[in-house]
Amino acid sequence: MTGFPILSAIMLAPGVGMLLILFLPHDNQKAVKWISLASAAVSLMLTLYLYIQYDRVVGGFQFKEEILWVKTWGIYYFLGVDGINLPLVLLTSIVFFTGIWTMWDLTKRVKEFFALMLLMVLGVYGVFMSLDLFFLFVFYDVSLFPMYPLIAIWGSTRKEYGALKLTLYLLAGSALIVPGMLYLYFQSGINTFNMVLLANHGFTPQVQSIGFFLFLFGFGVLAGLWPFHTWSPVGHVAAPTAVSMIHAGVLMKLGAYGILRVGMYLCPHGLVEWAPLFSTLATIGIVYGAFVGLAQTDLKYVIGYSSVSHMGLVSLGLSTMTIGGINGAVFQMFAHGIMTALLFSSVGHVYDRTHTKLIPELGGMAKVMPRASFFFILAALAGIGVPCLASFWAELLVFINSVKVYPVLGTFAVLGLVVSALFMLRVVQKTFYGEKNERHAHAPDMGWAMTVPRAILAGTIVLFGFFPRLMLDVINVGVMPLVEMIK
Amino acid sequence: MLAKFLLFMPESVYLAMGLVLFFVCLPRQAQPRNAFRWAVGFALLGIVAALFGLFREGFLFFEAYQVDLFSQIFKLILAVTVLLVLFLCRELPDLERHYRREFFLFLASCTLGLMLMVSAVELMTLYLALELSSFSLYILVPLRKGDGIDVEAGIKYLFIGVTASCVMLFGFSYIFGAAHTTDIRELMMRLPALLQQPAAVIGLLLFLAGFFFKLAVFPFHFWAPDVYEGAANQVVAYIATASKAAAIALLIRITALSHGQSPYLFKVLIALCVASMFLGNLSAIAQKSLKRMLAYSAIAHAGYVLMGILTMTAVGYSSAVFYTAAYMLMTFAVFMVIVLIAGDGHNPQIAELAGLHKRAPLLALTLMMALFSLAGIPPTVGFVGKFLVFAAAMQQGYFWLVVVGMVNATISLYYYLMVIKAAYLLEPAVEQPMIRLSPAVRLLNYILILAIIDLGVFPQHILWLAESSVKNMLGGI
Repeated sequence: MTGFPILSAIMLAPGVGMLLILFLPHDNQKAVKWISLASAAVSLMLTLYLYIQYDRVVGGFQFKEEILWVKTWGIYYFLGVDGINLPLVLLTSIVFFTGIWTMWDLTKRVKEFFALMLLMVLGVYGVFMSLDLFFLFVFYDVSLFPMYPLIAIWGSTRKEYGALKLTLYLLAGSALIVPGMLYLYFQSGINTFNMVLLANHGFTPQVQSIGFFLFLFGFGVLAGLWPFHTWSPVGHVAAPTAVSMIHAGVLMKLGAYGILRVGMYLCPHGLVEWAPLFSTLATIGIVYGAFVGLAQTDLKYVIGYSSVSHMGLVSLGLSTMTIGGINGAVFQMFAHGIMTALLFSSVGHVYDRTHTKLIPELGGMAKVMPRASFFFILAALAGIGVPCLASFWAELLVFINSVKVYPVLGTFAVLGLVVSALFMLRVVQKTFYGEKNERHAHAPDMGWAMTVPRAILAGTIVLFGFFPRLMLDVINVGVMPLVEMIK
Repeated sequence: MLAKFLLFMPESVYLAMGLVLFFVCLPRQAQPRNAFRWAVGFALLGIVAALFGLFREGFLFFEAYQVDLFSQIFKLILAVTVLLVLFLCRELPDLERHYRREFFLFLASCTLGLMLMVSAVELMTLYLALELSSFSLYILVPLRKGDGIDVEAGIKYLFIGVTASCVMLFGFSYIFGAAHTTDIRELMMRLPALLQQPAAVIGLLLFLAGFFFKLAVFPFHFWAPDVYEGAANQVVAYIATASKAAAIALLIRITALSHGQSPYLFKVLIALCVASMFLGNLSAIAQKSLKRMLAYSAIAHAGYVLMGILTMTAVGYSSAVFYTAAYMLMTFAVFMVIVLIAGDGHNPQIAELAGLHKRAPLLALTLMMALFSLAGIPPTVGFVGKFLVFAAAMQQGYFWLVVVGMVNATISLYYYLMVIKAAYLLEPAVEQPMIRLSPAVRLLNYILILAIIDLGVFPQHILWLAESSVKNMLGGI
């Protein structure tokens, strides 16, 4: 570890913000919001610097920070980024910053909201950066438990049910992760939770098979893997805007990242063994999400089920075990995160102004709220996979490789995408065009200040749509060694 | 002589405390406040003595009494717990006024009994110490003002306690018959060879019953819900913390006697562990009363501790010691909130917590942290405790036991979340007044929150103490 601990700084900026907020008086809402935004800005700036500074030629783990934490158990505070988690850190920073900004108008229990939000983001950074299994799990839970109050207090539509279901599902996933990590720890016999050391040490095929199975379902719950996805649409719908953004945009990626980093990295052989099951569940998720989404009338449910479908794509990409497929999966995590955040952010605005998110009650919103509509439609197009938007490249890579590896499943997945295109277009048509509902004719559009966070998200989608290599080069150096290990 | 006295310092303090309080109790018209001041003074002194004696070693009373790091750590835990509990006893609104002085007296005698218990290395001494603490508690439980549920609880506690004692003595006779000694150090050498005989195993198991009772392990758990419900809040705070800590210490000491040589003992322990976890957690879900829920959750936690102990390895024992320290901290935090909410000393219902985040934001925060810690959510001390216990079990290859433990942790999260939901989300039907907290109580709250998180993030020191104490015990007996 040399020089400035930039990863710790990115991760702890929200933590410092949270502590500052806790010591502020209750009525000082402006200060709470400014502190939150400032800490998000610090994280974002440092992440951009990190992203530019990362050496794409050398690859591997960079900016490492390693401190021995508990000697007898071999627990390290060990942070580092490679091509796989760097895009996800960037994703977190962007969604976090825009999410805080989106919640600027919040008036209910402001201090607690932002404190919990910052705590959650600290956990998310921790999961993405930790290369120590113990800390990864600790951060994993830290990022999950603030969800309960965040949804239950500030949410809408069946919020208590949604919050409870989500929390119990996700922590039930932990019930598999803990045995999994302890199992690997003792099987390795080298007395360390350091994942790099564990991966180099290697495990017997049988151990890998058990380990991968536990991680696949433990993390798979959070990744929205069918049939453990049911918490996800309910939770999305119940959550307040910024929480939906972070939740669908970032938290679900934690699950996929867990499968990738812990499951595939430590147990590559296990992936080979379980790939048929994994890819089948992923494909069912894609098709199922698309068809259920077709029947929804609540905008947030539509996005929720499209998330299930799109996260299925990520899983399918991972299960192809090819460089292209995993590249696509990681890229899809990033692209889908930004895109979903933009969708929820736009819907959040519509809901705040019209107090409804039911499609039949809306209509012709493009004339009433041109800016909000523009962002929603852009994100919806990205989801469908329109060229020149970030998701296009990601989905293309996943499809090409999945059809190559699993011809039948791949074809179903492509069909699933067609259906999801259908329902997205249907939503766009019914909500934003068509008959104008006079009740909402005078609902105000986004102010310019509130346009900025959405513009940042939209800009990111377009930027990486035009220049996918900005990201794919980074991802590729991370994925290549992984695929070597699988082979 | 002086050196011997120094070894006995912590116990002497509580002995003196009992004597002084006895005389305070004698006059007809004395103030309970006086007894409280004496008790706090002695409790502070007790902590100093326990810290002072932490690294001392030696034998007393014809080698029936051993002072080692293992016993001293538990004495420190006990001393801290007593002081914390006394923090809540400034007013004792739900005790009859003329019994309030006696409350402190029996608290002192019970603590003395527990302290003697953790150091006793001779079975007879051990039994006497156990009874000293139990009898004090039999009196403390029905001291409450009220309509008879306290007496019912007291009688239940007495009957089940006495039964457990009988079972224990019966087992004791078997052990003595098989090994011809009552000295734990000699037993340690002789028992492994004898464990082929059913009599020795059964004796050992029955002997453990006394501690299962104290810890509320299935099937000796029946008293827990009624006693938690019936006894005064402060008394329950004490029973739920101090008395359990000592029981865990002894469970570890006695289980260690078998050297892990007996598969029967192991099988029984595993069954009790799983049954306690499921019974506790599933019953807790249905509870409406906060204290009753905590009673069932305590049964479940006894199961987790047992998981560390039944591995019969040094790692497992030290994880159980760590878990004990963690459990004391978080359980006390919850009971502190209960005492402060129930200003007049009634039994708070979970629904009564509604609006707590407005009435007392700090208490709500403490409650949330303590409950998350009990549920084993990182980065709290409770998580580290669970993690260590599960790791110890996994090390011995008990994969399914760990899975069962994690499933239980998830179940327990549900009812803890229900309490947090009440405190943070529900609005009270009738507007409740704010709860005023004195600066001392505020400080205590901050310390507890900080400790719960701090020990969760930096567990090294306590872990080191736990590990060296267990090493010391296994080598020393």
